[in-house]
Amino acid sequence: MKINWFSPLLPARSGISRYAMQVLPVLAASHEVVIWTDQEQVAPEVHKIARVARYDPAAPPWREINNGAISFYHLGNQPDFHAGIWQVSARQPGIVVLHDLCLHDFFFTLSVRRGQDRAAYLNAMERWYGQEGCRSAEAFCAGGISAESMAQNFPLTREAARNALGAITHCGGALEELHETPACPAAALDFPYAAAGESRYRAWLAARDGMPHLPYRLVVFGYLNRNRRLGPLLEALAGLREREQFRLELCGQLWDESHIRHEIERLGLSSIVSLHGFLTEDEVEQKLSTAHLAINLRYPSMGEASLSELQFWDYGLPTLVTRTGWYASLPEDAVAFVRPESEVADLQSQLRAFLADPGAFRAMGERGRRLLKNHDPERYVDALTRFAAEALRLAPRISALALAQRIGSDLTEWLPAAASPYLLERASKEICTIFEGHRRG
Amino acid sequence: MKILIATSGVPFIRGDAEILAEGLREAFSKAGHEAELVVIPFQPYAPDRIPDQILACRLLDLTETCGVRIDRVIGLTFPAYLIPHPNKVIWLLHQHRAAYELWDQPAADSLMHYPDGFVIREAIRQADRELIPEARAVYAPSQSVAERLRRYSGITSEPLYHPPANASLFHQGPAGDYFFCPGPVNSANRQWLATQAIAQCREPVRIRFAGEPGRLTGQARSADKLKGSDRIEWLGMLSEDQKRDLYANCLGVIFSPGDEDYGYVTLEAMLSAKPVIATADSGGPLEFILAERTGLVARPTPESLAEAMDTLWADRRRAAAVGEAGRAHYQDLHISWANVVEKLL
Repeated sequence: MKINWFSPLLPARSGISRYAMQVLPVLAASHEVVIWTDQEQVAPEVHKIARVARYDPAAPPWREINNGAISFYHLGNQPDFHAGIWQVSARQPGIVVLHDLCLHDFFFTLSVRRGQDRAAYLNAMERWYGQEGCRSAEAFCAGGISAESMAQNFPLTREAARNALGAITHCGGALEELHETPACPAAALDFPYAAAGESRYRAWLAARDGMPHLPYRLVVFGYLNRNRRLGPLLEALAGLREREQFRLELCGQLWDESHIRHEIERLGLSSIVSLHGFLTEDEVEQKLSTAHLAINLRYPSMGEASLSELQFWDYGLPTLVTRTGWYASLPEDAVAFVRPESEVADLQSQLRAFLADPGAFRAMGERGRRLLKNHDPERYVDALTRFAAEALRLAPRISALALAQRIGSDLTEWLPAAASPYLLERASKEICTIFEGHRRG
Repeated sequence: MKILIATSGVPFIRGDAEILAEGLREAFSKAGHEAELVVIPFQPYAPDRIPDQILACRLLDLTETCGVRIDRVIGLTFPAYLIPHPNKVIWLLHQHRAAYELWDQPAADSLMHYPDGFVIREAIRQADRELIPEARAVYAPSQSVAERLRRYSGITSEPLYHPPANASLFHQGPAGDYFFCPGPVNSANRQWLATQAIAQCREPVRIRFAGEPGRLTGQARSADKLKGSDRIEWLGMLSEDQKRDLYANCLGVIFSPGDEDYGYVTLEAMLSAKPVIATADSGGPLEFILAERTGLVARPTPESLAEAMDTLWADRRRAAAVGEAGRAHYQDLHISWANVVEKLL
């Protein structure tokens, strides 16, 4: 199959660019892939996988894109990484891979903050949530509703899949829970991750065992946004009598570094907490192979699966996660949960449990590593391409729906209500016959 | 019988399909039937509206007129051949080619230039696959079209040949010192092959083209300027009489389109007892050319075409013999409107 791939790419500091590096080599081994980008820079290792082609989101080269049988569009909440991809996906139907499920912030930023197009935002809100959505959007624009509340109540997930042939998530049942099931076929696939070989894993375990146990090293990794719950974490640590038995390392870009530094100082945690910024691959390996517990909280969750979580498991690291979104679907014996409504208390309780029985937590990490077989990239690529083939088979449905919408809208404008049922029924029956082959079953 | 011929057309544009539809109506009339054309205006330059046009055809009712039953509908072109009728026979001149073999061609109206082009393509293909088999029988104008219909849509059809317009008026004259290259000048007919070939001929070959060189590609025009331009003549618009005279008095006919559906030019040359030079990828014309016996088949390169032209130019006796064999072969094929009428009814 000829495949167009649109996603953030290394060196972009996005989990999706790392995800792409897991999937693309496997995909390109059995399919003809063109990797599309509007990034200024693309890492040399991406060029080694497949041909990298540039596009201008304002004037995409449709002819060349249409040379592919199917396009995969990877969408998330970061406009810097996904604005161009969204622009193309909105015009050329393809498979939309939703890395975040709550995309309200993405669409708001794109339309209102960047595009100065308030009407587009209001239209999208009205399209999916009716008058209530429109009123809430107005109130949000006026500063009367919080961004978190809007993301939870009006995630605008369906807007991302509005023109899609199919939608992929990495969290089973999440779209239904959000009441955001799109009109196109949707599937939830296990997030892909290529686990390290057994000998490498053993080396990491040996490195960990070779380190002095106390103080225990806790790590937080990734883009440390507000929903990573650093505030409650610092508060929990500060309130813990046994806090000197821990060292907390924050690794990654902070959304507000000065605020976090201030908090660390205010809570008297300067000797316990250290900031490390964005790490190189080697530094990541060093940190994870010598850490004892990873803290991987999200709240609110945007519904995303966590590459970091799979990476922690790869190192056999036990993790504390929030019981929400994708994390809530993880097996009870592979992670330790923190409830969103009692974060500080649960964090403290889990940290005490860790101190009481580090071996139980270590076993938890090992169980996590065993789960990685479900995330094998080859298995993922197989499921991805099978889904794409089925979605392609149903491609005429896009024309059918657009046509039905136009006919319905036109007929209701000029036809008396009493007469319209017959005509609508006839038109809809014909549309089904033409584009879905209902006549032959 | 009351017969409606359902076809599509672009208003103010007249081409082979229109000529064929009129020929068919006349043939039905001659056979004692009442026949009329139903022409659906078709706008191929708005691809996103093609599904609308399919639906519009599906919602038409051609089962009766003023209380009188329509006995048969003959569907000719997309999307008119999708109009439903209990006694419909499709003589499928061609599908919407931009959704099939012309999908990835560089033409400006290619669906490939549109962001949702492939969705439209799939919708058209789905409609064809689903609805063409509704017909009682499906015919194609040539083996070439039948094969395409089978390859893309999995639908079997029978080739049904028909004569060119005014077939009886074609006549034979003495072989002159020129090849005739009829047909509209456009990229599909690839006149550029001949303009480049003449520069490579060993013999003092001359070609007379119907039409103007205005629509030739830059490459072909520059070749024309470089060498052999004094042996090329552009005749502009020709009347039907002029065209038949040019056929009658030429040494041979050059017709080198790429994947042509049918190719009246071949049949007109055979009716004029002239040898045809086509290329191995010409499609429909090859169904009538018995290589080396009723015409020559060159490779689609200027060098190969030049060689074929030289062959006939240097051996006029052979050219005449091949032309005569072509006329005899046409007779053997029993290509007639009467046969078409009999099959379609």
